[in-house]
This record gives sequence, structure tokens and C-alpha cells, in this order.
Amino acid sequence: MKTRISTIVTILILFFAGSSLLAQKFEQPVLISSAGQSADVKLVKMLAQRQDLNATTVLMAKSEDLTGFKTLVIVPGFSSKGLGAAGISQQDELERVRSLINAANDLKIPIVLMHIGGNARRQGQSDSFNQLVADNSKFMLVVKQGDEDGFFSSIARAKNIPLTLVEKIAESAEPLGNLFK
Amino acid sequence: MIRNHLSTIIITIITATLGVIAAISFGKMHHPEELFPGDGLTGKVMLSDYFEGIKGTNGDTEVYLFDSGVEGGTALVCGGAHPNEAASFLSTVVILENLSVTCGRVFIIPRLNNSAFTCSDPMEGFPASYEIPTKSGTRRFRLGSRVTNPLDQWPDPLVFSQYPSNQQLSGFETRNINRSYPGRPNGNLTERIAYAIVQLIDKEKVNIAFDIHESSPEVPIVNVIVYHEKYEEVAMGAILGLEMAGLQFSPETSPKNFHGLSHREWGDYTNAIPFLMETSNPSMGRLRGRTDVDLVLRGYCDNYKKAKETGALRIAYREETGEPIAHRVGRHIAGVVELINSYNLYYPDNQIVIENLPDYEMIMEKGVGEFLNN
Ligand SMILES: [Zn+2]
Repeated sequence: MKTRISTIVTILILFFAGSSLLAQKFEQPVLISSAGQSADVKLVKMLAQRQDLNATTVLMAKSEDLTGFKTLVIVPGFSSKGLGAAGISQQDELERVRSLINAANDLKIPIVLMHIGGNARRQGQSDSFNQLVADNSKFMLVVKQGDEDGFFSSIARAKNIPLTLVEKIAESAEPLGNLFK
Repeated sequence: MIRNHLSTIIITIITATLGVIAAISFGKMHHPEELFPGDGLTGKVMLSDYFEGIKGTNGDTEVYLFDSGVEGGTALVCGGAHPNEAASFLSTVVILENLSVTCGRVFIIPRLNNSAFTCSDPMEGFPASYEIPTKSGTRRFRLGSRVTNPLDQWPDPLVFSQYPSNQQLSGFETRNINRSYPGRPNGNLTERIAYAIVQLIDKEKVNIAFDIHESSPEVPIVNVIVYHEKYEEVAMGAILGLEMAGLQFSPETSPKNFHGLSHREWGDYTNAIPFLMETSNPSMGRLRGRTDVDLVLRGYCDNYKKAKETGALRIAYREETGEPIAHRVGRHIAGVVELINSYNLYYPDNQIVIENLPDYEMIMEKGVGEFLNN
């Protein structure tokens, strides 16, 4: 009897431990999009390719684009050139990102924030995008320079969102891949 | 009698003397400083050899060629599109005076808008020149204007209608070479220079072309590589490579609907892969203090430190070190090298192999002057 209980307890412990680990796993296919239209999203696309992820990049993804995807990776960062290229205003872009995030939340598609632009994609007009995406993410992968003032780590702490900090952009490829393994 | 006029005569002589001195000094602005290309140089032509329409004008400029004799690709490196951007011209000069090419060819144009080197921007208080200490003395370089000299192209229209897009810009931009591409043979001088450059790119079958710039710390496009959307992979590869070397560059896509710029029109109208790089130059910024040679070369300005601390804008300024010329030149040269490395990976049939350029650390340690001949 005793062994039985201990076996059950062990199984239960393993089960919960496993499921909490599972909570940190994300599924493919992956939709990659930008928030702020910085070209950093192109780098993330390249890193995802190098990790052999089943990923599609849509710079200005809308709610309908979420169909069939199991994870949404958003790369926040403002670029006036990027918005110019897209022919939209910062306000339009904020609206688009907001509705994309709302749709993903409704569909229970988890959001991963990936901030790789360092201080070039912080403060000024970038932080409204950084804040919006961080608040709604289930995981954050950030290149350290972008978190020098603790912007992302404080959101991570307050909202209990797992955060991985890496030194360099190239070093973010592996943790990105591992999210799906 | 003479006595009555003595003071008039003296004043006239003094005025005339000062006038002559000023005229000589002013005239000097039209004489470009001598450059000392390295041993790898194989040819030198004029830009007017590609388009007669700028011959005999201040828009004509030297084109230097480094031909390895080994079949490969062709690169074009341009500085001085905006001669008020010291590191743009100077980076090109360092490349010109050190480069050796072992596969393919490299063309260098240090004074892309030569006319703009012959004047300075009014109301900006820029020094007319700056000096760099070298191994064997000092070299003096002109600091010019952002735009073509009004003596060469005047007057500006009230509104500039860019050719052929018809995009409307302020009249002043009529003289901005980086709003004038692809240019036209019967246009104003700036458009004709732009046209000549596009002819060179075409005729020489340039594969990869660089347009080197600087901008104010407070503008959004700084410390960047601007790329044409067709060649995204080359840019991203270089950005990762540069980051591994400790240099952070942000990728920026060339907007499709912003016309006249090299990274847009060279990519649309020629087969070249264009890249534009910007470093942060506090002497160009609106928040700068006293504008002198020290600010141009040392790039240190407390106003930018204060501005950055407010957090209101993103400011590309390093509080501890400022943005010294060695840092800016070092970044540009590293950018050219890494972009060519990345290009070689994607275009193995048209390799360009360049050697002997100082890396970022070397330039930071020894200064720009160490890499200038003479
Ligand atoms: Zn410029």
C-alpha cells in the first residue's frame, strides 16, 4: 500500500512538474510579425530559418493571418523607415498590433516577445510597442542591451513571465529553437 | 591735396589687401586636397568619362579603380555625398589609401558631390576645415556643405519635384544628391551628377555599392545599414557578423515610396546591391553646443548626454566616450568589409576579396591618421 501511494505521489509530482515544463513549450507552425515595423523582424526570420522552425513571417499580420498557427512571435521596435515603407502611421501600427494581440489571446495562441534591437529599439517611439507586446507575452527573449534599465525584467517579474536574456543576437537563435523542442 | 585724401587712400589699400586675402582663402575652397592612394591603385578616371554632361563643371569628380586582374565582382564605395559629414569622406579616404584587392574590382569615389565640398552650409557655424595628425605630419581636409554649391546651381525652386517620381520636397533638396537619383542627362547639375553615377554603375556592372553617411544623434536613422528589400539576406548576414565583432548596427529597409535616395534608386534602376550606412555625428545635431573642429573630431557634447538622460527621444550618443571620428570611421570600414563578406556568401560566382583595411579596434587604438599616407 505504502509503495503504491508513494508511486502515485511520484507520478503526480512528475505529472505536475512535466506540465509546468510543458507550459513553457510552444508549438509550431509559428507566425512571426513585427510591432513597429523595424527590420529586426527580418533578422528573427533568418534565425528561425537557421533553427529549422516551421515559421512564416508576415510584417503586418492581421487577425485573419493567425489561422492555422500555434504560436505568435512578435518582434517589437519602432522604425520610421519601416513605417514609411509600409505607408502607415505609428497610430495605425499600434491599432494593428493591439487587434492582432487581442485575436491571439482569444484564440489562445501564445505570444513570444523577441526584442533583439538593443537600445536602438528602446525608449522614444519604440517603448509603446515594447510595453504592449511584453504585457501580453507568455515568454520573452531579449538581447541584454535592450534591458539595461530593467524594462523587460521588471515586466517579467511583475507578470510572472519567463524571460531569457542573451548577450548577442546570434545567441538568441538557440533559445528560440528550444522553445519548440 | 594728398593729405586730404590720405585717410581715404589708406583705407582703400587696407580694404583691397583684406579683399585679396579673403579672395585667395575663398578660392582655395575650390582646390580639393591631395589624396594619396595605396599601391593597389590601377587606374583613375573622371566621373565625366561616364557622362559628358558634367565635364568642366564643379560636379565632376575623381573615380579611383583597384583592379585585382582576377575575375570576380565589382564594388563601388562612395563617400562625400554630403560633405558636411566628415566620417563619410574620411572613411573613403582611408579605404583609398590602404586598400588592396585580390579578386574582382573596387571603384572608389571620395567626393561624390564635389561641388558641395566647395562651400559650407550657411547659418550652421561649421568650421571650414579640420586637421588630422598623421605619421608624417598633419593632413587638412575640407568640411563642406550638405548640398551642391549655389554658385553651381541656382536658384532653388520653391518646391522640388523629384524626377521621375514627382515626389514633392522642399526647394533646398534640389541640390541634395541623395534625393536626385536616378538623375537625368538634361537636368540640373545635381541631377546630372546623379545620372553620371548611375551610368558608371551600369557600365562597370557594379555588383555592390556603398553610400557612406553620417547623421545627427537625435534622428531615428542612425547607426544603421539601410538596405534595398531585394537584398535583405546580405544585410542581415552582415549585421550578425558585425555584432559578433562587437559593433551594433540596426537594419533599416529602404522605403519603397521615398524617392531619390541611393538605397532606393540604385536598387531599382541598376543591378547593383546598394547599402547606405550612417554613423552618429553630434556636430550635425540640432542640440549641439559650440560647433568647432573639436566637436567634429572628438564628437563629445554634454547637451546630448543631458538629452539622452531625459529619455524623451532615442539618442544615439555614448555618454562616456562621445562619438569620436575614429569610432565613426572604424564603424564604416567594418561595415563595408562585413557587407562584402556577406555578399560573397550569397554571390560566390562574383567574389570580391579586399585586404589590408584596418579593423575597428586598430583604428580606435591608433587613430585615423595612422592609416593615412603622408
Ligand atoms: Zn548624409
